[in-house]
Amino acid sequence: MPRPPVTSETFASPLHDRRAAAWLGLSLGIAFTTCFLTGLLSHLIQYPPGWFAWPARPAGLYRITQGLHVATGIAAVPLLLAKLWVVYPSFWSWPPLRTVTHAVERISLVPLVGGSLFTLFSGVANIARWYPWHFNFPATHYWVAWITIGGLVAHIGAKLPVSAEVIRRRRPADAPADVEHAGLSRRGLLGAAFAASGLLTLVTLGQTLRPLDRLGFLAPRRPKNGPQGLPVNKTATGAKVVDAANDPEFRLTVKGRGVTRPLSLTLADLRAMPQHEAVLPIACVEGWSSTATWSGVRVRDLLELAGAKKGSTVRVESLQPRGAYRASTLNEHHAADVDTLLALDLFGEPLHIDHGFPVRLIGPNRPGVLQTKWVTRLVVK
Amino acid sequence: MTPGDRHKEEAPPGRLFWPAAAVGWVVMTIGAWGLVSDPHKTRPAESIRFVVGAAIVHDLLLAPAVILAGWGLAKIVPERARGPVQAALIVSGMVALFSVPFVRGYGRVSTNPSILPRNYGGGLAVILAAVWVIAAAAIARRCWRSRA
Repeated sequence: MPRPPVTSETFASPLHDRRAAAWLGLSLGIAFTTCFLTGLLSHLIQYPPGWFAWPARPAGLYRITQGLHVATGIAAVPLLLAKLWVVYPSFWSWPPLRTVTHAVERISLVPLVGGSLFTLFSGVANIARWYPWHFNFPATHYWVAWITIGGLVAHIGAKLPVSAEVIRRRRPADAPADVEHAGLSRRGLLGAAFAASGLLTLVTLGQTLRPLDRLGFLAPRRPKNGPQGLPVNKTATGAKVVDAANDPEFRLTVKGRGVTRPLSLTLADLRAMPQHEAVLPIACVEGWSSTATWSGVRVRDLLELAGAKKGSTVRVESLQPRGAYRASTLNEHHAADVDTLLALDLFGEPLHIDHGFPVRLIGPNRPGVLQTKWVTRLVVK
Repeated sequence: MTPGDRHKEEAPPGRLFWPAAAVGWVVMTIGAWGLVSDPHKTRPAESIRFVVGAAIVHDLLLAPAVILAGWGLAKIVPERARGPVQAALIVSGMVALFSVPFVRGYGRVSTNPSILPRNYGGGLAVILAAVWVIAAAAIARRCWRSRA
C-alpha cells in the first residue's frame, strides 16, 4: 500500500500529546457520565416504567438534576473540541488498522465521536429552540446518548492503562518537562480549553441561577422574562387553545374508574374551594428554571371530593387538541402531595393565558413539560 | 512528551480492553436498536446521517481548518505574543461557535418574547472583548518582563 501524503506524522505541533489527551479525556468521561445519568433520570421521570416512581420531594431536585444535565453538556463543548484536536493525528495513523485490537478500538471511535458531536450539537440547538432536522429531538438525543456512552465504555477500556499511567506519573521520566517552543505550552492549551468551558458555564448558568442572570450573555432564557415575570415555552396561540380557554362554558371534570362521585366544576366553583399557596419552580427540560408563587386548589382535595381512593394515580388532560405534552400523569406521590395544585393564580393574580389560564397543574419536583397547562380533565385510575 | 512519543508501538491491550469492548458494544447495540425501533420519531435514515455527518464535518472540515489556521498563525504572530494569541483564539473560537444559534436567533418566535430574549450578538462582543483584553494584558506583561 502506498503511503498517503498525510499521516499522523504530518502534524508537527507538540501539543498533540498523550498527557493533554488524558486530562481532557478524564474530564470528558466525568462530564458525559453526568449527562448520561441525569438524562436517563429525566427520561425515566417522563416515561416511567412500572418499577419507577419518582418522588415529589425534595421539591427542587429535578431543577438541579436537569440544570446539571444542560450545564454539563455546555461545559463539555470546548473540552470535546479540544480533545478531538489533540488526538487528531491518530485519525491519520498509518497503516490505518494494525492489529485486531487496534481495529476494534478504531471502529468503536466512529459511534463515540459521531455520537458525542451529535448529542452536544443537538442539545445546544434544542436549548436555542433551533431544529434544522425532521426527527423528534428527545427520542433521538436519548438513543444516540446510549450509542455514545457505549462507545465511551469501549474507549475507556482501551485507553485506561495509558491514561492512568500518564496522569499518575506527574512527569514522564523519558520526556522533557513541558514542550520548549515559542507558542502555547501544554498547560496553556489545557488552560484555554478549561477557561472556555468555565466561561460558557458562567455566561449561560444565569438561566437557572438567578444571581448569574446579569452575566448570562448567552443564556437562552432569563428567569424573570415572560408574562407575569415567568418564562413560557408553549404559548396559548401555539397550543391552539385561546378560544377554548376563554370559553365561559369551561368546566373542569374529574372522572375515571377510580372515582365514585364524578365532578364537573366551573371556574367559580374552583375559586369557592379552599385555596392553597405553594412556592415552586418551573424547571424546564431545557435547563432553565424559575421559582414562582402559585395558588389554587389541591389535587388531593379534588380527589377526595370525587371519592377517589388514597394512592390513586391521575391523568391530567389539557384543552390542547394535540401535542406530545397535552396530558401528564401524577403518580401516587405527586397526586397526594400538599403542594400539587390546580393553580388559578400566579403571584396573586389570575394566570396569564400563556401560563395556562384558567387552570394549570403545578407540582413539586416535576419537569416543566409535565406541569400541564389549560387543564380541563382529571382521569383517576 | 515529544511528538515522536505518540508513534511508539502501542502497549498491549490492558486487562479491561475486551470486557469494556464487549459491554460497550452491547450498550451501543441497545442505542442503535432503540433508534431503529421507533422510526416515526427518530427517522433513522436522517439521524444516522447526522451522527456520521457530524464526525465527517469535524474530521474533514473543522479540524483541518483549525490546524491550517494554527499553522499559518505560527508564521505570522511574533514569538512573544504567540501563546496569549493562541489561547485567546481557542477561547474565542469555541465561544463563537457555541453562540451561533443564539446570535443568529434561529429559534425566535414573534409570539413568544421569553424565548431568546437577549441581544446575543452584543453579549458575544462583550465576552470576546473581555477575552482579548486579558490576552493583550498578558502580551504586555511578557514584553515588559523581557525588557526588564
